[in-house]
Amino acid sequence: MNVIETENLSKTFRVRQKEKGMKGSLKAIFKPQIQKIQAVDRISFHVEEGEILAFIGPNGAGKSTTIKMLTGILCPDSGSIKVLGLDPVRQRKQLAYEIGTVFGQKEQLWTHLTPYDNFCFFGAIYDIPGGEMKKRITELSDTFALGAFINTPVRNLSLGQRIRCEIVASLIHRPKILFLDEPTIGLDPVVKENIRSLILQMNHEYQTTIFLTSHDTGDIEKLCRRIIIVNNGQIVLNDSMTHLKANYLNKKIVENIVLSPPLEDIITEIYRSEGRSGEPS
Amino acid sequence: MRKYAVIYRSVLMENLQYVLNIAMSFISYFIFIFIFISLWNYIYSSPDELIAGYSKVQMIWYVMVTEALWFGARSGSMARQVAADIRSGNIACQINKPYHYTLYVLARFTGEWSVSLPLFALSSTAMGLIMVGKIPGFRITFFLLTIPVILLGITINAILKLCISLVSFWIEDATPFQWLYDKLLLIVGTTFPIEIFPEVLQPIFRLSPVYTVCYGPAKLAVDFSMEKFLQILPAQAAYLAAGLGLMFFIYKKGVKKLYVNGG
Repeated sequence: MNVIETENLSKTFRVRQKEKGMKGSLKAIFKPQIQKIQAVDRISFHVEEGEILAFIGPNGAGKSTTIKMLTGILCPDSGSIKVLGLDPVRQRKQLAYEIGTVFGQKEQLWTHLTPYDNFCFFGAIYDIPGGEMKKRITELSDTFALGAFINTPVRNLSLGQRIRCEIVASLIHRPKILFLDEPTIGLDPVVKENIRSLILQMNHEYQTTIFLTSHDTGDIEKLCRRIIIVNNGQIVLNDSMTHLKANYLNKKIVENIVLSPPLEDIITEIYRSEGRSGEPS
Repeated sequence: MRKYAVIYRSVLMENLQYVLNIAMSFISYFIFIFIFISLWNYIYSSPDELIAGYSKVQMIWYVMVTEALWFGARSGSMARQVAADIRSGNIACQINKPYHYTLYVLARFTGEWSVSLPLFALSSTAMGLIMVGKIPGFRITFFLLTIPVILLGITINAILKLCISLVSFWIEDATPFQWLYDKLLLIVGTTFPIEIFPEVLQPIFRLSPVYTVCYGPAKLAVDFSMEKFLQILPAQAAYLAAGLGLMFFIYKKGVKKLYVNGG
């Protein structure tokens, strides 16, 4: 069963341009120049229930824009989206109860509150009854090993601890789909590995569908069964990890770089071969 | 409404950690009030003299009430945070939650002033009683009737400031509009009551937000009359309804224009 379906999804941004210097600043006031950037260009794909999908590409490829359209934050210019059968723009609130989001570069936790108070807050926002909420916090706290710092204000946590709390806050309402936008950005290898294990565990235990964007090949290789590569807003590859490894990662390219010796050494060598000695003049 | 109550409670918990910071902001409030007390002491030749219908004590209390509202219910989150969130894209973490973003912001703001305003109210009352004496004709019934007018004034101000901030969906910086609005309130209504200004301008000011946000609550606090009360309350209700309508409209149109860049 498909939980995400997109058809010819497109999004264009209008970005203001300014010529250099003071003259350019003054000109921009009276004659603003707007450049259209095609962030997402007619992309179509689907995601199955319980799948872990990597949605990757270089910076500016349109990954985050796609996630933001899938979660109802941005309105697409054209095309259609169905997430769990809902239209993210028109049924944003209804969809919010069914999905969770973690934006690695943006904070959703209240930094002056403790993780525990944050989880209670998110639980209440998602209309989870008090008793059930406490049960879920205990369960997730054990799974994500938050016990040591669950009562420490978020502002005093390390980045790795904060990301774990961010993921827990996104899971408190047991979403059917979790969108992870670069969740391991800035983390050290040990914490990255820890987060990956937790994501896998969560996928196994709760059958949560994971939609992941990351620049970290480790994340993709260890977590995902399918990969979609986007570039310039278009899908350039949509294949399973098994096929990708078999078709693209079965060859090794060995590059032989011959470094030229410095010019001085070449001239000395010429002199030597001509029977002269000493430094070149 | 339960989730907005939870947002309110969370902000309250957050702000209770910073009571000392709020107390520090009393210093600038005291300096302002001290200057105005000296100014009005100088302008009034005798305590019984009336200027624009206000005795000296009423005039000083008027400024104390409006300044306490200005300092105690300062809407930094309305003026700067919302616009900054829209520009930086941090709004993305808020609008995909199962609440209405604008009501979330209003609940946050209410949580903020719920800590600071009572502290300002207490300290300014103490300061007023010590320096100028009690408000002439003060009655507890009048005070209780003035409370909803004060709360409505703060809420209307927050809604209007939020409307201005939401313009950031279209323009890069809404700060100049916030500045103009703030200065209108500060000069007309906060520092001086409407009656001080030329008669030609007074009807205009009575139709402006000044009447419902600062003049109305302060006027009732220092010179309560049922007639005034019945004029100000319906004006506030109209402003509240129109402000909320405008806020939802701007948000609905603006959120479609949202441009969240990178990451």
